Amino acid sequence: MANGTWRIARSRSSAQLPLVLSAVLALLLLVAGKAHFGPFERARTAITDKAAPALQAVNVPVVAATRWAGGIRHFFDVYSDNQRLREENARLLQWHSAAVTLQSQIRHYQLLLKTVPDPSYSAVTAKVIARSSQPFLETIVLNAGRREGVKPGQAVVDVRGLVGRIYVAGERTSWVIVLNDLNSRVPVLIRPGNVQAILTGTNATEPNLEALPQNAKLKNGEEVVTSGDGGLLPPGLPVGLVSVSGGEIKAALFADPLTAGEVRILNFTSPIEQMPKPSDKDLPAPPVTPPSPQASAVQQPSEAPKPTAQTVHTVASALAASPRPTRTAPHPTRHAVQPGTEPADQARQPDDTAPNPTDDQNDQ
Amino acid sequence: MSIPSLFAATIPLLCGLIGVLLSCMPVSLTGGMVPPPLLGFMPVYFWCLIRPDLMPAAVAFAVGLAQDLLTGGPVGLWTASFIASYAFVDRQRDSFAGLAGIGAILGFALAMLIVSGAAFVIGWVYFWHVPPVTPLLLQVAVSVLCYIPVLPVLHWVQQRVVGPLRSEF
Repeated sequence: MANGTWRIARSRSSAQLPLVLSAVLALLLLVAGKAHFGPFERARTAITDKAAPALQAVNVPVVAATRWAGGIRHFFDVYSDNQRLREENARLLQWHSAAVTLQSQIRHYQLLLKTVPDPSYSAVTAKVIARSSQPFLETIVLNAGRREGVKPGQAVVDVRGLVGRIYVAGERTSWVIVLNDLNSRVPVLIRPGNVQAILTGTNATEPNLEALPQNAKLKNGEEVVTSGDGGLLPPGLPVGLVSVSGGEIKAALFADPLTAGEVRILNFTSPIEQMPKPSDKDLPAPPVTPPSPQASAVQQPSEAPKPTAQTVHTVASALAASPRPTRTAPHPTRHAVQPGTEPADQARQPDDTAPNPTDDQNDQ
Repeated sequence: MSIPSLFAATIPLLCGLIGVLLSCMPVSLTGGMVPPPLLGFMPVYFWCLIRPDLMPAAVAFAVGLAQDLLTGGPVGLWTASFIASYAFVDRQRDSFAGLAGIGAILGFALAMLIVSGAAFVIGWVYFWHVPPVTPLLLQVAVSVLCYIPVLPVLHWVQQRVVGPLRSEF
């Protein structure tokens, strides 16, 4: 009997051994993960890289089924949707034209004021291949990684605004920590008062606005944008709107990481990709008698009583007619810089007027 | 061990991994209102009860680790939670295995509560921040609801695939 009891006890303890080992190993994993043990991160990215095809393969039928189900739901609304989209398209075309005009005006004023140019950055478009909306974390996995130039810290945006930032980049995949994740901290600016704050994720739909100045008075609906402090995220990216409720100041986010299908990863630090220089055939034919610098300088101001020269007309007509900025627009504005410039600036003029491929890229 | 029986032994692990993959899909039927169910834990619970030889602690560990790695969370959080629940179910197997019908669902609900409770405590210590309770409870509720249609599928896999492949036992 005693022997039998001993045997049972022995078998039980040997059966429990893998369980105890697994538990100890799990705790060790937690400790090592908390200590940001490098091999874990590499293993995670390597596994995600390997799992990316499987994730995409699993996604295909489910996404197709969801789209199909959504298509059925919207089938009966096709006509009204079409009408609505037509009206919206017409309205957006008007806005587009206004935006192009304003963009050109801003560039003109920046040249006049010699402002420091806005930082330019390239972007990588990526698809969301996995999403984790767990009680402790809100992350998404993208199908772009170091191979595409993605690095940790880069901003991820969708059409509506900032989604989050990259925190782990594998070879072909990358992880995004979204704004409402428990670990997300993003320096932001609240307009119009330019109040600085830290956007702190709480795993709730609306992250908190913390570290506000003591005398800050915020109202519902004020705009929250990235401040750019720290140099990782570009300043001015739209984030959301202030939502004050019950003494808590939160931000209602523009972007919804749960519905984002395609996002853009902004490379804030690296220079923008250069377009190939246009050949002579691509450039517009030069005017037969180009106006002298003095003449164009007199003609340029918009308040001029008689803008007789064709430069002003060129700007207006080009902006109004063309769907996107054309290369003809910048030339007159650059001539206009000349009257207010110093001789040294005038000496620099030929370089400034040379075609700059970056302009095209920025226009796009 | 023959190749078919070896293959059969890997099916619970494969089911767990498929569950983890499915729960990572960027599609939400509720528009993101509710967290996705812990699909990876369902095979762990199921085979831990009916065929513990096919679901040893190491397999539960592997499924939990996959859940951690593929959801981007702290490595070890779900692993330790799965192991904690596995240990409980393993010790109370006789009680759990005797449950049927609604009782079986309630048994899974209890196991899910242990998983979520363990994750809550670990998350609290790990982040040094009290995690929100509502999403955890919602996840338990969704997982229990999803277990109802998943259970017949797991039964079918066990009876039609795993059983015949391991018929020599």
